[in-house]
Amino acid sequence: MLKQLYLSTKAILRGHYTVLKHLFRKPVTEEYPEIHPFLNPKFRGVHVLENCKGCGYCKRVCPSNAITIIKDDSLPSRYSIDYSKCIFCGNCMYYCPSKSMKMTEAFEVATSNKLDLSYDVENRRM
Amino acid sequence: MKGYLGMDKMCLNLGPQHPSTHGVLRLILELDGEKVLSAEPDVGYLHRGLEKMAESKNYIQYLPMVDRVDYLSGFFYSYAFCNAVEILNHIQVPEYANYIRVMLLELNRIASHLLWLGTYLLDLGAISPMFYTFREREDIVTYFEKVTGQRLMYNYFTFGGVRHTDIYLNEVKNIVEKIYFKVDEYESLITDNPIFISRTKDIGVISKKKALDWGLTGPNLRASGILQDYRMNTPMYDDIEYDIVMSSEGDCYSRYIVRIYEIRESVSIINQCLEYLTTIELPNIECSRVPILNNPVGEIYSFVEAPRGLTMCYLNSVGEDTPYRVKWRTGSFYSTQILKEVLKGVNLSDVMAIYGSLDVVLPEVDR
Repeated sequence: MLKQLYLSTKAILRGHYTVLKHLFRKPVTEEYPEIHPFLNPKFRGVHVLENCKGCGYCKRVCPSNAITIIKDDSLPSRYSIDYSKCIFCGNCMYYCPSKSMKMTEAFEVATSNKLDLSYDVENRRM
Repeated sequence: MKGYLGMDKMCLNLGPQHPSTHGVLRLILELDGEKVLSAEPDVGYLHRGLEKMAESKNYIQYLPMVDRVDYLSGFFYSYAFCNAVEILNHIQVPEYANYIRVMLLELNRIASHLLWLGTYLLDLGAISPMFYTFREREDIVTYFEKVTGQRLMYNYFTFGGVRHTDIYLNEVKNIVEKIYFKVDEYESLITDNPIFISRTKDIGVISKKKALDWGLTGPNLRASGILQDYRMNTPMYDDIEYDIVMSSEGDCYSRYIVRIYEIRESVSIINQCLEYLTTIELPNIECSRVPILNNPVGEIYSFVEAPRGLTMCYLNSVGEDTPYRVKWRTGSFYSTQILKEVLKGVNLSDVMAIYGSLDVVLPEVDR
């Protein structure tokens, strides 16, 4: 009985010591809206498209059918990604044969207007 | 309907929106005072149709989806699906890719166990351990983000290996060293704590027979005293030495002990992988081609030991672009079913202690 009491007290004191040590340490949390988190270059955020040839591989590998390519005279005239469907899996970037699809570190796509939820490239050779 | 001392029996709906169910589980409890007379788990609130979805998507389209089966251990599901497709198409995985896979799987297992530890202690009323476990888990998750691009939905394993070999081995070394010491810190807080012991010891005992009858796997089965670890049967782990952690009591406390020691075991496995990966020169690959899959007719059953038990992927191909049928066997589903048996006759205050100790993640139950 006494031994148990001793062991319990010892365990509790040891726990308190572990917790109290943290009073003198720096905080590990980041206050997000004020301080933007550091993201690594490989982060899969909003897309950027450059020098697209319009082959349509990205459309075929997209799991949620978020990509639309409209072609005029065999050349792509409009390319759009619907962010209400996109799951940011990165398949379009990984399987792009010409490496024209990149994903940036921007991740704040929330908006109150549904029409803003798309990435469009129009009327130029993409 | 009269219970003990002529009091009325009461029906209590625990969940679906209950903070301790870690998701949306509804437990229909029949109570007599504080005693639970019967319990009926009601699942299906998080059903997303991931199995049916496979039938309308080709293999490459379905691969990012499998991380979503269990968002706390996405690599395991990726691996199980990739492995099934590799066996079907007779694709050989290079040795370095196997080692990278093992290393990431074990890191993911640590992250998953750390999250379980923090939230379980939170269920029991302790606040501080959650902050400490999440602090260490954050290191692992940030490392995953650096390598794969995202914190939980990785999409990193591909058919025939990994997507790229740009992994930062030094960081893994630092993380692993840190965690090995931090586990001692958790133990100093938890293991001998009299409150924790009185809440978990001899509570929710699952006997050997019961565990086998209800199909428990993983740490829950090992805590009941059965030496069964499917890593033994996975060819990927052939060259790696490790001990299988086992406890014989089968109560909540032994399930905690098994998981704590598994973290240490995982650390030693990662160290062996690091030893191998630092000695060889990693080829600089960048997976950019759509892999050519012939997908012959066949049925494949691939398995992996996930943090929550045995994970199996059944794949049925009829030679088309899309799988004919995909079926997932997940550990949490069986852990949820056993609640019906274990919760009989316990106090209401112990329900969450028992349920939490089984480490159930609801998206895995419902798929």
